[in-house]
Amino acid sequence: MTVDATARTYMIIGPEPELWYRDLISCLQATFGSVLTRAGADPLEVLGAGWRFLHLPGDVRSEEFYYPCPPGESEAADLGAALAPHHELHARWWQPADENDVWREVRETLAEDRLVIAAVDNYHLPFRPAYGDVHAAHLVVVYGLDETRGVVHVSDAMPPSFRGAVPIKEFLRSWGSANPTDVQDAFFSDSRIDRRCLDVRLDAPPPPLTPALLGGFLRTDVDGFTTVGSARTGLAGYDEFAAELLDRCRAGDAGALRELYPFGWAMQAQASLHGELLRRCGRRWEDPALAGAGRAVEAVAHAWTGLRFTGAHGLADPRAVEADIAHHATVLRGTYARAVDAVGAAAALL
Amino acid sequence: MTGISVSSARGRLCDPVDISDHRNNTAISAATETRAGAFNVWRNSFAAEYLPAGQSLVHVDGVPFEFPPVCDGPDNVRCAGQFIRVPVGRYDWIHVLAASERRCEDTVELNFADSSVDAESLRISDFWAAPAWFGEVRAFESLVMHYPHHVQRGIPAVMWAQRVPVTRRADLTGILLPRNVAVHVFAVTLQRTEL
Repeated sequence: MTVDATARTYMIIGPEPELWYRDLISCLQATFGSVLTRAGADPLEVLGAGWRFLHLPGDVRSEEFYYPCPPGESEAADLGAALAPHHELHARWWQPADENDVWREVRETLAEDRLVIAAVDNYHLPFRPAYGDVHAAHLVVVYGLDETRGVVHVSDAMPPSFRGAVPIKEFLRSWGSANPTDVQDAFFSDSRIDRRCLDVRLDAPPPPLTPALLGGFLRTDVDGFTTVGSARTGLAGYDEFAAELLDRCRAGDAGALRELYPFGWAMQAQASLHGELLRRCGRRWEDPALAGAGRAVEAVAHAWTGLRFTGAHGLADPRAVEADIAHHATVLRGTYARAVDAVGAAAALL
Repeated sequence: MTGISVSSARGRLCDPVDISDHRNNTAISAATETRAGAFNVWRNSFAAEYLPAGQSLVHVDGVPFEFPPVCDGPDNVRCAGQFIRVPVGRYDWIHVLAASERRCEDTVELNFADSSVDAESLRISDFWAAPAWFGEVRAFESLVMHYPHHVQRGIPAVMWAQRVPVTRRADLTGILLPRNVAVHVFAVTLQRTEL
């Protein structure tokens, strides 16, 4: 870190953040991946270790980085725990406490040699394709602040990837945007940015991933899929979610399809990472059943494409796409069932 | 762009299929008229200047395809359960030029003259700056992405060459495409069984 009270320049020590990306993840996993890499952890091992279904009715926000995250019994929702339930990853949202010095917390975090994840509106960011065109809520990593030169150092792994300086003036417009409703983006506009940031901490380094350790994770997750709980979790939770989705389509409720896109992305990204991790471990440990289970979980991710995009293209007339939504919901249910079965069988041998 | 080659032994067994009656989507646009394309829900499209000429015969990994019209109406089949009739015969492979709005796998149903039907997987990687997740050949790549209001550098759009096996030793009569709007088929070529 460089700190000069006069120069007011703050920069993380060492190399710029690594750009971590997979084609099915969103800016949420990408930014967490950068933080995890910097902490010395393998993002795939942390973000791909858990696999769950959770739908929170009424909770879905029109943001690329939406992820279902239940509030704890005695504390605020922990997005890190939701993303990585088997690791000591924790994250909390914060906003600047002082309207007259909105950079204070960013300076403090960078001074501790830690990255900041900031919510932004792509409309105001010069390096995003939507610049000056489309309002959309997004996440970037902030790794430096130079108040003398008037720039913020920003990293974004989502294509077209970017790492570099952005004028403070433009960043502030993006960070503080109202992100108004934009007909060009029904899924990620209409959600105030409000200078939100994420404080992400990996409280303990991940232990070496062994078959026994992974087996424990998998058995817990399979229990989560096969146990009926009070929340919409597991296969029973999926059935509730799908039934409600169809009911809302039948009623002509476009909001159901608007929510399906960001919610489905969260579930799709998680399944893709989990499947990739299981395949990788299966190959490494010469365990074809585990590799096959990973491929089965990836099939879940691929089936989400059909459901999400049928909904996205059908936004103008939900009733007209009800039959296709029903078809893809059924296909997706089948992939979930096969994957849970395959993961359970593989876990039993670990 | 890769794989354009001279005709091969495999090429001599291949017959492009006419899918012109099924084209229902425009995925390729000119830089001067990017609004004309709408491959995905965001109305992005491939840049014509990086792709072969419309209706030209192209070879990808030794397989000939009839490239669709370019900037002259619909250029691909956005899958919605269309049935493509094919010249009745014995085939080993169905080759496609295709792209997907996000990585996707779905099912095509192969119809045979003896009334049998086999479901086979159609696996297509994302067109958006993505790797060949299913081991496809990167057939053509637009180095820029067309947006309705601008041309975006740094985001390539990829068209894949994928294949589907015909395992049944029977006469194929047609291919039922999936009901999946994410999957776009630009060209189909059948590879005959070598007798």
